[in-house]
Amino acid sequence: MKGLADRHRLSPLALAGLSVAALVMVAPLLWTVALSLKSNAELMRDSGTAFFAPYTLENYRAILQGSQVFGWLLNSLIVSLGTTLGVLALCSLAGYGFARLEFPGRRALFVFVLLGLAVPEQAVILPRHQLFADFGLHNSYPGLILPGLAAPFGVFFMAQYFRGIPRELDEAALLDGASRWTLFWKVLLPLTWPAQATLGVFTFLASWNDYWWPLISATRSDRFTLTVGLASSQMNYAQTSGLGYLMAQAVFAALPILIVYALFQKQIVGAMAGAAAAR
Amino acid sequence: MVTLASLELIEVRKAYGAATVLDGVSLSMQAGEFLAFLGPSGSGKSTLLRVIAGLETVDGGEVRLGGRRIDQLPPGDRGVAMVFQHYALYPHMSVRDNMAFGLRNAGVAKGEIGRRVLDAARVLEIEPELDRKPAQLSGGQRQRVAIGRAIVKQPQLFLLDEPLSNLDAALRMRTRVQLAELRNRVDAAFIMVTHDQAEAMTLADRVAVIHDRRIQQVGPPMEIYARPANVWVARFVGSPAMNVAPVELLDGESDSASVRLGDGSQVDTRVPRAGLAGAGPLQIGLRAESVRVTGAGAGTTDARVELVERLGDRTLVYARLSDGQALTGEDRGASRVQAGDIVGLRIEGAAAHLFAPDGSGRHPVESTTA
Repeated sequence: MKGLADRHRLSPLALAGLSVAALVMVAPLLWTVALSLKSNAELMRDSGTAFFAPYTLENYRAILQGSQVFGWLLNSLIVSLGTTLGVLALCSLAGYGFARLEFPGRRALFVFVLLGLAVPEQAVILPRHQLFADFGLHNSYPGLILPGLAAPFGVFFMAQYFRGIPRELDEAALLDGASRWTLFWKVLLPLTWPAQATLGVFTFLASWNDYWWPLISATRSDRFTLTVGLASSQMNYAQTSGLGYLMAQAVFAALPILIVYALFQKQIVGAMAGAAAAR
Repeated sequence: MVTLASLELIEVRKAYGAATVLDGVSLSMQAGEFLAFLGPSGSGKSTLLRVIAGLETVDGGEVRLGGRRIDQLPPGDRGVAMVFQHYALYPHMSVRDNMAFGLRNAGVAKGEIGRRVLDAARVLEIEPELDRKPAQLSGGQRQRVAIGRAIVKQPQLFLLDEPLSNLDAALRMRTRVQLAELRNRVDAAFIMVTHDQAEAMTLADRVAVIHDRRIQQVGPPMEIYARPANVWVARFVGSPAMNVAPVELLDGESDSASVRLGDGSQVDTRVPRAGLAGAGPLQIGLRAESVRVTGAGAGTTDARVELVERLGDRTLVYARLSDGQALTGEDRGASRVQAGDIVGLRIEGAAAHLFAPDGSGRHPVESTTA
């Protein structure tokens, strides 16, 4: 394990540099947490008191007593999980198709899908809004989930992963009498687990943090996702007076993400490293 | 089941775009026979195996197995099982599931699957590994799982794609023996693709030498060695490659042909003279063991030694005749010959082959193998 040890040995200069960078990254987060634990009244007098006791959980209590917070949380969970599952299913099937099936126009279609990466959301949001309005999809879960299912990057990512699986496995399975579906479902798909995890985590995070589309599509407060809901409640307060409450909201909204990160840390780091290596 | 034709290839053709890979290949195999496809890489031997397996479609001709036409059937319905060069085990399945997968797809009863898997695992000595994943096994064990996966299907025909090429030398020997044992135990035919002559010669009943999109010769290993159909087979089979040199046919009364090498020395062969005169330029084929190294002036001709390979039990001497023709000869193991020496070469004409202008081989009447 010499290589591993070597990789972890850093020069003092690099260590100092990285420490400073880490501190810069984490300071605002710690500050946020500290602010969220102070009473609003105290912070209004002097926000510098955030670094000193006494601390209180009253802001979190206020959030949890907000009648709609748990509804928004549930909405966010349903939308994020729905989007993630949908993206995984569609991208796996499409990726498998592009990687393994021969059909006329495959290459052109693949390029067409990838072109989707070049279209910014801003360019389509008005027609999309109109379309969803025409179909009566606003203020519904399908209305919040469907746009997220168009995932050209996911298709590309899964296609590349399927291409990396040796074709001998397909051939062995075909000789074992497997149907196309059995081959996909029982042999190839289980092997794409690392890619599924990576794509799933990224999709979940993106969906959880999405603000713009839910802001447009969900106009009824019982359909708000957490991001939109928390933002809407901020509008009701002068932000200077509700600083602690505001920060507690930020921490609260980030908690599920923290949990996802803790569970899938390996996949996320791996995906980042993979993305970096690919460049 | 007496010598019922097992596998039959009739004028099989395969092309990738404009590139023809198989050009009218015909072949017939007996039930229970072990056949080796021997050829250099790119010869089409793997493609032929894949055509039989159903992993490649045919562009023309027929493939029949046990009398049934199979070239239009999906791979799983052909009654063949394949052992892949890189094993192609399913990495996420246990050894047991790897072996059972094909049977489950075929709808074999659960109890029967368990019994067959266990039987195969016992025979192949992988019973303790049944619940492990392929990644936890050694190369040799993976190889045996791959073989086991084929056995449990009880196919009419086993297809082995370079089955030993990924194993180290010691393991290759052992697996070779295991394959020979397996072959005796199961009632099926075998086709093995290999570029390794030793494998082909030791395992196979018959060898099909494939080159240039065609089968050049099919026959028992010793026949291929002793009576190569053409110059290409002669030079491909056997190590070192057979010496081939242009010769001139001498007039004579004898039934056997006498020829003269480029340096003027005469070789009296036992190849029938009939049909050779007037055919055009001939070539002689001499195995290294029929070119013995002796003292200068004591042999058929003299040559200058260029390279000496000491193999222990024998010594290979790469020499050049006065006209520049290269010839590989053999000396005893304790040879003292050095590069640069002038030595005599005693050519055993009785073992010499002649090749007609079209490359086809003519062999001594009594085939002698030194």
